[in-house]
Amino acid sequence: MRETDAIVADGAVALDGGTRAARPWESLEPSLLGAGTIALVLLVWELVPHLLTLSPGMELFFTTPTRIAATLWNMFATGEIWQPLRVSATAFALGLAMAIAAGLPLGILLGRSPTLDALFDPFVTALNATPRLVFLPLFLLWFGLGLWSKVLIVFVGALFPILINTYEGVRNADKVLINVVRSFGAREWDIARLVMVPNALPYIVAGLRLAIGRAVLGVVVAEFFGSQEGLGVMMVRAASSYHVDIVFAGVVVFAALSLAMTSVVKMIEKRLSGWRPRHANDGGGR
Amino acid sequence: MSAASAHALPPLEEGIDQSGAPTFAARHRKLLLGSLSVGLFFAIWEAMFLVVPLNTLFISKPSLIALGLVDLIATGDLARDLAVSAVPFLYGFVAAVLVGVALGVLMGWRVRLAYALDPLMTVFYASPLVALAPLVVVLFGVGVAGKALLIFLLSVFPFIFNAAAGVRAVDPLLINVVRSLGGSEKDLYLKVIVPSVLPYIIAGARIGIGRALIGVLVAEFFAASEGIGYAIARFGDLFALDRMFACILIIMLIAVVFTEGLRWAERTAFPWRIGQ
Repeated sequence: MRETDAIVADGAVALDGGTRAARPWESLEPSLLGAGTIALVLLVWELVPHLLTLSPGMELFFTTPTRIAATLWNMFATGEIWQPLRVSATAFALGLAMAIAAGLPLGILLGRSPTLDALFDPFVTALNATPRLVFLPLFLLWFGLGLWSKVLIVFVGALFPILINTYEGVRNADKVLINVVRSFGAREWDIARLVMVPNALPYIVAGLRLAIGRAVLGVVVAEFFGSQEGLGVMMVRAASSYHVDIVFAGVVVFAALSLAMTSVVKMIEKRLSGWRPRHANDGGGR
Repeated sequence: MSAASAHALPPLEEGIDQSGAPTFAARHRKLLLGSLSVGLFFAIWEAMFLVVPLNTLFISKPSLIALGLVDLIATGDLARDLAVSAVPFLYGFVAAVLVGVALGVLMGWRVRLAYALDPLMTVFYASPLVALAPLVVVLFGVGVAGKALLIFLLSVFPFIFNAAAGVRAVDPLLINVVRSLGGSEKDLYLKVIVPSVLPYIIAGARIGIGRALIGVLVAEFFAASEGIGYAIARFGDLFALDRMFACILIIMLIAVVFTEGLRWAERTAFPWRIGQ
């Protein structure tokens, strides 16, 4: 019943899967329209200072896409971005890896055992509903302004989408298949390997994509309040000294990070579920 | 198609199966086990202090937290902080519902509009908009406007995507059936489209609420001087862990009540979706 957490991810999937190209124009239309809108938004944004006269106060807070791009280019050219990026990426990778390592087995376990499910359900429900951020002051107190408070925030944020989607996928596994495998003498481990995980894969992937989003969010927020280095720190400092372009450059870097990770996950999913019959809009196993 | 229904059907039957004859006992068992584990958790937490000499500067125990909570409620501090946080939450969230559902329905209905807007929205949704918090705070301050804007930005996208997905999931067959049986446009909306889209919107609301709460906390951690998020940060700074834990528990409680309430609403209002 928690499956609907996966729906958000579906929205994005449904569109790219759904186009059956008859003519080249038809297959290009979605991407052209999409790119066109983005280009239009950027263009209008760029033109605002030329069309309107901004008050001096506004000017301080205003930046244009070209300036952001230039700043970004500069940061890469001078190499000043690598240090904070490395710090942020380390926290992100560690937290996410821990979340996967804990979330997958726990999800399978809770999905398979009603007793464990009943025992852990209150905690999973409560912690999943709670915005992870409330724990930040606590983590800061316990682990200080370093890497580990960040890692923990990322971990807590990313754990539950993975755990719950795995759980949901395992629960929705075809009973007939389980019985077939079992009557051929499979053990619990074989059932997990042969039926559960393959069946839960779309769910797990949807969970992973949610988790990536939350992990990025976690890194940013944790660095805003409790860190001394990293991209988030860079952005807060820039904001308080009115370098709006740097703030946006940071947003772009974070967005690129999460988009890159998401497409990697998508690619892995394609590789792993090539055997699955294709039906365009059924992403979440509906 | 057949593969899809093969995937969808078994859990449906299973759900009916479980909520059929042995429901009461089964549900009872789950509740019992759940409360047992929660009780055990707090008991162990409390007992830990008897065994290990833990520093109460860094960790609190349930009995102290309960006292802190009583204190916060008695002095009215808690109510004041919650009230301060609730106003921007309400503004931001209501705006997110209105804008998000309208835009989402349009995007679900008009394929071209979806093609045009979906990548842009995905970019927005994927980019950590929280990162704009410092800017929002600098521009709009930490008053109601700044917080509400941040909450709106964070919670609008689940509504957009879910409303769009809901409209897209409307079964064309149902539309054709209503049409061929002589249903009017109004019937089409009331009998097919709204019942099909609403569950998605409520699911979106559940995700949106979580993100809206993040918005409240971020805004208040930043530079507020009141509100529940500020209270947590301040008690942390003061090493008043009992009261800090009390506030954290209150936020957890609010989050759980909201999300579980919505889930309950989903179940009672759309019982046919239970198995899905």
